[in-house]
Amino acid sequence: MASQKRGLLRDPRINPSLIFGVVVIILMILVGIVGPMLLNEKLARVGAVEPNMPPSAQNVFGTDSQGRDVFTTLIMAIPPTLRVGVIAGVISVSLGLALGLIAGFFGGWADSLIRTFSDVLMAIPSLAFMILVVARMDRPNILVVAVIVGFLTWSGTARGIRSMVLSIRERSYTAVARANGETEVEVLFREVMPNLLPLMLASFIGAVTMGIYTVMALEVLGLGSNVIPTLGMMIFWSQRFSAVLRGMYWWWSPPIVVIALIFIGLFFLSFGLDRFINPAIPIKRGRSRIKLPTQPTAPDTAIDPRDAIMEVRNLRVVYETPAGLVKAVDDVSFSLRPGERMGLIGESGSGKTTMATAMMRLSRPPAYVAGGRVLLEGRDLFNIPDRELNKLRLKEIALMPQAAMNSLNPVVRVGPQFKDAIVAHLGRLPDNQLNEMVAQALTKVGLKPDVARNFPHQLSGGMKQRVVMAIATILNPKVIIADEPTSALDVVVQQQVMQTLGRLQKELAAAVILIGHDMGLITQFADTIGVLYAGKLVERGDVQTVLDNPLHPYSRLLIDSLPTLDGKHDLVGIPGLPPELLHLPNGCAFHPRCPFAMERCRTETPVLQTPLAGRQVSCHLYPEHTQLPPLTIGIDSSSAVIEVASSMGA
Amino acid sequence: MLRYIGQRFLQYLLIIFIANSLTFLLPRIIPGDPIQEALQTKAAAAGHQNVDIQAWVAEYNAKFGLDQPLWKQYLNYWGNMLRLDFGYSLFDFPATVMSKITAAIPWTLGFMTMAIIIAFVVGTILGALLAWPNSPRFLQGAVPLLMVISAIPFYLFGLALIFIFGVELHILPTGGGADPTLIMRWDWNTLGNILQHAILPAFALVLYGIGSWALGMRATLVTVLGEDYITFAQAKGLPDRQVFTRYGVRNALLPQVTGLAISFGLILGSGVLIESIFNYPGIGSLIFAAINSKDYFVINGTVAIMVFTASTALLIVDLIYPLIDPRIRFGK
Ligand SMILES: Nc1ncnc2c1ncn2[C@@H]1O[C@H](COP(=O)(O)OP(=O)(O)O)[C@@H](O)[C@H]1O
Ligand code: SF4
Ligand SMILES: [Mg+2]
Repeated sequence: MASQKRGLLRDPRINPSLIFGVVVIILMILVGIVGPMLLNEKLARVGAVEPNMPPSAQNVFGTDSQGRDVFTTLIMAIPPTLRVGVIAGVISVSLGLALGLIAGFFGGWADSLIRTFSDVLMAIPSLAFMILVVARMDRPNILVVAVIVGFLTWSGTARGIRSMVLSIRERSYTAVARANGETEVEVLFREVMPNLLPLMLASFIGAVTMGIYTVMALEVLGLGSNVIPTLGMMIFWSQRFSAVLRGMYWWWSPPIVVIALIFIGLFFLSFGLDRFINPAIPIKRGRSRIKLPTQPTAPDTAIDPRDAIMEVRNLRVVYETPAGLVKAVDDVSFSLRPGERMGLIGESGSGKTTMATAMMRLSRPPAYVAGGRVLLEGRDLFNIPDRELNKLRLKEIALMPQAAMNSLNPVVRVGPQFKDAIVAHLGRLPDNQLNEMVAQALTKVGLKPDVARNFPHQLSGGMKQRVVMAIATILNPKVIIADEPTSALDVVVQQQVMQTLGRLQKELAAAVILIGHDMGLITQFADTIGVLYAGKLVERGDVQTVLDNPLHPYSRLLIDSLPTLDGKHDLVGIPGLPPELLHLPNGCAFHPRCPFAMERCRTETPVLQTPLAGRQVSCHLYPEHTQLPPLTIGIDSSSAVIEVASSMGA
Repeated sequence: MLRYIGQRFLQYLLIIFIANSLTFLLPRIIPGDPIQEALQTKAAAAGHQNVDIQAWVAEYNAKFGLDQPLWKQYLNYWGNMLRLDFGYSLFDFPATVMSKITAAIPWTLGFMTMAIIIAFVVGTILGALLAWPNSPRFLQGAVPLLMVISAIPFYLFGLALIFIFGVELHILPTGGGADPTLIMRWDWNTLGNILQHAILPAFALVLYGIGSWALGMRATLVTVLGEDYITFAQAKGLPDRQVFTRYGVRNALLPQVTGLAISFGLILGSGVLIESIFNYPGIGSLIFAAINSKDYFVINGTVAIMVFTASTALLIVDLIYPLIDPRIRFGK
């Protein structure tokens, strides 16, 4: 990972609250270590000084009712207090780690046993329980208490570790590592451990907090040891001698401040650690923002604007990630005629969803539109007020998001999710009219009208996809962007959904951009096609001409990977792995995989050009050639083959 | 649905069983003799030094069945639990543990309910505002402050509050549940007096509660606002405010309400410290007094009640959850 090479301190996940927490805790530890060395510990014993004295030069924080010097006692009380926390933390995290790993890796009955046990632990009010146990001890021993706290608090850690192990095991790189012949244990140490560290650290902090908290609470209740001064005992003593009521602020307030500092430090520390555990938490809060450069980066590419309903010009979208700037959509331009069926194809991760989202002006941090324009019938969507934009969405341009499974509000019935959209655009209509519209829309996509009364989770994947289609088309938009509407469905349902989409397109005469990674499905549906590779549009043209005569080597390989006519899928894939957008090769991003790569492809980035009428391609073979030269190098189908046609969408 | 309820119920029975068995067993495997200690404390308090403690202890042990084999005690324990009979107070003899608990519970329930509801409402609204993308900038400054107040053990606020409002300003009582001279009647005077005494302890809890409810709501809402159904709602052209409330807040409220139900379940136990700081006559002070007089049966009974209410509350939460979350109501 690139982020690890950049040095820990430059890691953008480092945040103020983490730094603050670390500083406070280190300060406390230093005071706890150095303080007792410098002070006369005898002053912390009962009867060492004259009792009840307010602060003076001799006793900076005064003395308590039992004749201790408050300042000395306070400093002496820090180490045992922290020690209790560390013991609880170590035990809790070790237990949690062990049990979590067992549950995650072995699953089955071990998993259920551990889960049941942790459920029980979570259901027991731990402080009450500790009171019961400690009250039985002849002389309360705080270390024993710390140990018990450790045993009571492992369940959170175990749960976190378990789910992390499961999710990491599912992730592809572990699968790749396994394919490389690594054993489970090797994978565990190389891939899983680094991911577990922040989680364990956070759990440790949690258990330390819990340990200190519980022991302190017991002490304040009178279940502490009267021998060693701790911060909790100082509170207990001051309470027993009514320090607050007697106005002896110098006695009760210093321990409160120190306790508060310790807990604040721990809290900020764990809060800051969250950034490492949930990288998904947006670093910057906020809604769709557009960061357009003041000056256009490149002149508008000449595209044929003749009766275009929609135009995308030099669109750039970036993700600001901790590891760097990801150019997910890089200088894409194309135009769309009214009623055109355009297919947009690309491997998963090539930027299709990012582009679709940006075209609706829905990019959300960490994604930003970094340049370009989207024109809908001449109106620049990036340059109109929110209110006007909201009027255009759904009514003029509609999006069927890729995640149709999660695109419906889970706690609201299907019907109202139609109605709020209608009302937002057409105003309040009579109920029966609204119901009628919803019923019609549902019927159009092949659903029964009473689906409106269901909650989303009661519907199958295909039905949810249809509901999303019905909502997106209810106001007869002129442009519909359908982002992989079939990728999560099984083959039979896929066909039905595609037919429905085709029928809707005909009825509405809307322009449709169908996004997908399956060349077969796309070419069945579309009139024109655009090929996206690593965030760039590399080829654009009519489906038939592109199929017959692909200009870009990547399109050629995509077409070759189509199933043959007899229905058999011949396993010609595309050698090499899809590029990682963070580390794009120089020159043409496709050159490491391109059978035609030339010297200049490594250094010079090709631009979109029009070598033939109605055809656009971005490749150095043109304009010298008029079509793709015959393939001289054979494709080694036994090499690591990434099948485009069958790969999953992202 | 029925299967869900059945499953939850079995799980609940298991939790109750294990938790109560632990409550029974753990104290008994720890060395020490509670009766002897309690009687010694009692004897010392009464000024007797040379009474025959051993004979006294044996008599008590027999009376409370502590001389029987462990398994018999265990069965008795369950029998007593089911009848909510926790025996007698060791220190305060003829009084039963249950009578002491029943006397204390209304106090705890009263001020805790008040505190929990206020903190929940204010905290949740504040948290929602903090997660609202259009909220004023200065509001974000409240986040570190909320983090600070939810980090500090809240009973410590109690000490500072007593000092400020009770000792220095003299505007509120420094402790207790009502004036000792007050004659309890059903009138405004009594009610006002009780309220006055509840303000400070409740305030300490509210302060802390606002912090944690607000931070919780903010975190959940930020996650919810990243969900796909928010994107689709925006793509439908709905106004920001509607997307935020109907799609965002509505979903983020589910975990908050669960949390609320759970804090009601923990109501008896979570005020222990604040009550003992304020000498408030609820369950907390009961257990505090019992600890310091080594009245083990009272401790045992109080803890058993806390464990019982907490696990019952968890069951209730699980059972009402389908009402607020349709995914479970109509799921499996
Ligand atoms: N939340 C994100 N944070 C950082 N990078 C992202 C994020 N989402 C997507 N990307 C980057 O953007 C690229 C394009 O993603 P996406 O538009 O979803 O691709 P597609 O829809 O073609 O599968 C991905 O390869 C990834 O590098
Ligand atoms: S520019 Fe070069 S590397 Fe890129 S596709 Fe064309 S021939 Fe291949
Ligand atoms: Mg996608």
